[in-house]
Amino acid sequence: MDRREFFKFSWGAVGIAALCSAVGVSLAAVVRFLMPSVFYEPPQNFKIGEPGDFPFGPPTFLVEEKIFVFRDRDKGFAVASAVCTHLGCTVAHFSSDQKFHCPCHGSVFAADGSVQHGPAPRALDWFEVTQARDGQLRVDKDKVVPPTYRLMV
Amino acid sequence: MERRLQQLFFALSLFALVLILAAGWQANTPSWKTYQRSFLQIEAQGEPNAVTKAAVLATPPEIHQVLLSGLQRVDRCTTCHLGVEDPTMKNAPEPFRYHAGLGPHVPSRFGCTICHGGQGLATDKEGAHGNVAFWPNPLLSRDYIRASCGRCHKEGEVPGVPELNEGRHLFETQGCRGCHKLDGVGGSIGPDLTGEGANRRSPDWLERHFLAPNAVSTGSAMPNFHFTKEQARDLTYYMLSLTNEEMGSYFSSVRLIPSPEYGRQLFVEKDCLACHAVGGAGAKTAPDLLGVTKRHSIEWLDEQLVNPELVYPGSSMPEYDLEANARKALVAYMATATPEDVQLVLSRKTRTMTPEDVAIEAGKQDFARFGCVGCHGTELQGGVANPNAQGGEVPSLLHVSDDYTKDEVIAIIRNGRVPPMDNAAGPAPPLYMPAWKHVLSDEDINRIADYLWSKQEKNKDAW
Amino acid sequence: MNLIREIWQSIVRRDPLSTDKGKSELVFLNVWLHIHPAKVKKENLKFRHTFYLGFITFFLFLILLTTGIALMVYYRPYPPQAYQDMKDLQYVVFMGPFLRNMHRWAAHGMVICVFLHMCRVFYTGSYKKPRQFNWVIGVLLLLLTLGLSFTGYLLPWDQLAYWAITVGTNIGSYAPLVGGQVRELLLGGHSVGEGALLRFYVLHVAVLPSLMILLTIVHFWRVRKDGGLSRPVWKLKGKKEELVTIGAPAQTAALQAAAASKDKTYGLMEVVSGKPIFETVTPEEEEDTVFSYPYAFVREAVVLMATVTTIMTISLFLNAPLEELANPAKTPNPAKAPWYFLGLQELVSHSAFLGGVVAPALMVLLLLAIPYLDRNPSRNLADRKLILWLFTIFVVANLALIVVGTFFRGPGWALVPPWVHVVGGTE
Repeated sequence: MDRREFFKFSWGAVGIAALCSAVGVSLAAVVRFLMPSVFYEPPQNFKIGEPGDFPFGPPTFLVEEKIFVFRDRDKGFAVASAVCTHLGCTVAHFSSDQKFHCPCHGSVFAADGSVQHGPAPRALDWFEVTQARDGQLRVDKDKVVPPTYRLMV
Repeated sequence: MERRLQQLFFALSLFALVLILAAGWQANTPSWKTYQRSFLQIEAQGEPNAVTKAAVLATPPEIHQVLLSGLQRVDRCTTCHLGVEDPTMKNAPEPFRYHAGLGPHVPSRFGCTICHGGQGLATDKEGAHGNVAFWPNPLLSRDYIRASCGRCHKEGEVPGVPELNEGRHLFETQGCRGCHKLDGVGGSIGPDLTGEGANRRSPDWLERHFLAPNAVSTGSAMPNFHFTKEQARDLTYYMLSLTNEEMGSYFSSVRLIPSPEYGRQLFVEKDCLACHAVGGAGAKTAPDLLGVTKRHSIEWLDEQLVNPELVYPGSSMPEYDLEANARKALVAYMATATPEDVQLVLSRKTRTMTPEDVAIEAGKQDFARFGCVGCHGTELQGGVANPNAQGGEVPSLLHVSDDYTKDEVIAIIRNGRVPPMDNAAGPAPPLYMPAWKHVLSDEDINRIADYLWSKQEKNKDAW
Repeated sequence: MNLIREIWQSIVRRDPLSTDKGKSELVFLNVWLHIHPAKVKKENLKFRHTFYLGFITFFLFLILLTTGIALMVYYRPYPPQAYQDMKDLQYVVFMGPFLRNMHRWAAHGMVICVFLHMCRVFYTGSYKKPRQFNWVIGVLLLLLTLGLSFTGYLLPWDQLAYWAITVGTNIGSYAPLVGGQVRELLLGGHSVGEGALLRFYVLHVAVLPSLMILLTIVHFWRVRKDGGLSRPVWKLKGKKEELVTIGAPAQTAALQAAAASKDKTYGLMEVVSGKPIFETVTPEEEEDTVFSYPYAFVREAVVLMATVTTIMTISLFLNAPLEELANPAKTPNPAKAPWYFLGLQELVSHSAFLGGVVAPALMVLLLLAIPYLDRNPSRNLADRKLILWLFTIFVVANLALIVVGTFFRGPGWALVPPWVHVVGGTE
């Protein structure tokens, strides 16, 4: 092509590229717009109280935070999610068999959270629990840990 | 065919008209309008002449609603209960009867459901009385309505509702906090009771639970406290009042009712008789208080209680940190105090207490208030069942000095203790000794230890 | 009185309806009616062929639009007030219960009718060339209908709503790669809360209805361009094929050119050369052709009134449910998705990934692909046995799953026959 055609083509290409980029960036912006930057819900990272507040043996169920706090004499603290991995119902823990039972579709999780029975696709999450500077226990639901994780206090 | 279709179209249109009229009729004839009409008939009967009678009967029907943002509710009960604030309706049939004895708690300022329960949003009888599916707060039966007083009046006495104070007193002295948290203080063995009155609206369940916990909550670790029926009722009243609801500032400001009875309680608590007398009975250091409300204005007396130095420079009367309603109560008591009553107060004071006695008494108070008595007993006898713990029950503390030094006991109170298990393979015992070092100060813990040591029984058969 | 005639004629500019020209102009000069052809074949109007299900679905949508906008006057999409507003609608708003019932039962009706319409289109082979893409649009409309019903389900903010949406969004989160993200975008957070309610509200009253209207426009337009409403193919006389030819066919003669008249105004459709896209009518078929006014319109009117009066009648006697205020701390047992998703929940209860992702994705993809996978050009039932069987099995299986999920699943999702005790309805 001659020079004229070349420039026509180039400007056209640049124009179209610009349009596509504009559209693409706008779409990305829309998707980012729809993602919330703050959450109007209980935080993922929170303190649950003094170690002494928690009994040994049967876990303490915290309603708002939907977690079970286990305290073992020898090994220390562990925090399990109380949200069934199947469809989000709240599981119950029974001391008689040390297992988690979900009322919605009958999923049963063993003491370490692994799926024993029912349609749940994966084990219950265990969350990281640490001790804050003031001595209180801090749970971080964004940090999933293996079921063997314990916090010795 | 086409004609048939046209006819069908017109027939259906007619049917649609009938249906919309039926819907309109259904919407226009709710049951509350019938009630309002009956009420207007009654009202009209009291009118002197035909003109006013007609005017009354012509009143258009409308839904009456009380908007209570301070109580976070909307009550429409007065749509049918039209005579509640009208004294002339004393003998009217229900639902129009006048509600006597309300005092300041008139429906236009308080609504109805805050005391009675029910569903204020509803405008038909069954719905409004809350006896419908999916409304967890039905009308309280007559016997329990007064428990609702405790939802606002959270401190001190409520005149006419001794059950609330009794219930609170039982809660504090029987050791409930040892296992149950209330307003953030207490143990974690049982459920948090802070909002129990909001979750559990069945007085029947609560009473049966207090009389026999395991019959109602199977497998519960809560021991049977062998409450009497009256005690169970008192505790039920107290539980029903624990609704943990947010209230506007006006409603929270009346937590305490400034009654003369409460004033008397403060008079004794603050030991005014240490310096003052009433009609000669009492100490002589400060002015005699008999008839003081006739000599000084209420504002002056109130100021005296807030800032004695301001009124009498150089006065040795301490500044008591009393809130407004507490001061009002004291002044109210001052108006009614008699020398005979004061003598009664004086006669109850036994020997003067030494600092050691004070420490032991404080320890005893704390031992009850923080719930230790719930497991260890009001007489330190122990005995509450604790399956799979060594000994099978909570130990008695009457011989604790045989096995531990005072410092060891203080350490146990501070750090808590898990009871050794009988059968290591079995389930963990439900009851344990919690750690108190973050709840009680060292001073409090020492006093509790002093109290325990004052109660030790010397074992006659000690080895 | 000339003034009145002048005013009238400034608004109504067609010839009188007694004339053929008038009847045609009523259609093509009217913005609301001009999607119709001026004339239709009698076969297009057969009730027992289409059951007017498309119309019924559309009329139900109109009912939903009007009742929905009315309800918006009294509804606030924020958690504590939303439930209170539902109670107000129930107790103090004039015709509140009636309006809410109309909305709810029309919604259920629309889900059912859109499904039946799809079945009808399938069984009459009306998705075949050139209507393949319209079938795809139809499936998209089906998904939009389900989406509208699902987003609306949350708005009452009672226990039924809260947990149905918790279960529903959790099923969705099983989609690979994007499932978790999409769930967070939908909910505006990690769990169902005020963010979810507001987003579902925006979807329900603005985004999804707009998409629905846009796609409906395309769907109706394509019906016209594809040859009009479906006709029973076995009733057609003589023709082997009734395929539409798009553009000028090769064999027919060119149209005669006629001189343009000086005292006539030509509409665009009279000037474009080439064969019109819609089927031409042979002289024999002329007898089977009638004007849309009144033949088509009276039938549509009857169907409209029948739909409206049916919904009204149901709404007078059957109340939409309202359970307790939503309580995140208390999971009802069992927690069930809305009925049209119960089949899905039943599948998911056996296997989360297979039942929640693979099965529905396959179902939707296969549905979309039907017109392209089906290479058999015949619309006769006798020639299509295999695909008819496959589709029927698909329909029956779905219905069976829904029935099981509704009536045979009790607390803990245990199998409990309905005559024992069914806990929790699924309205």
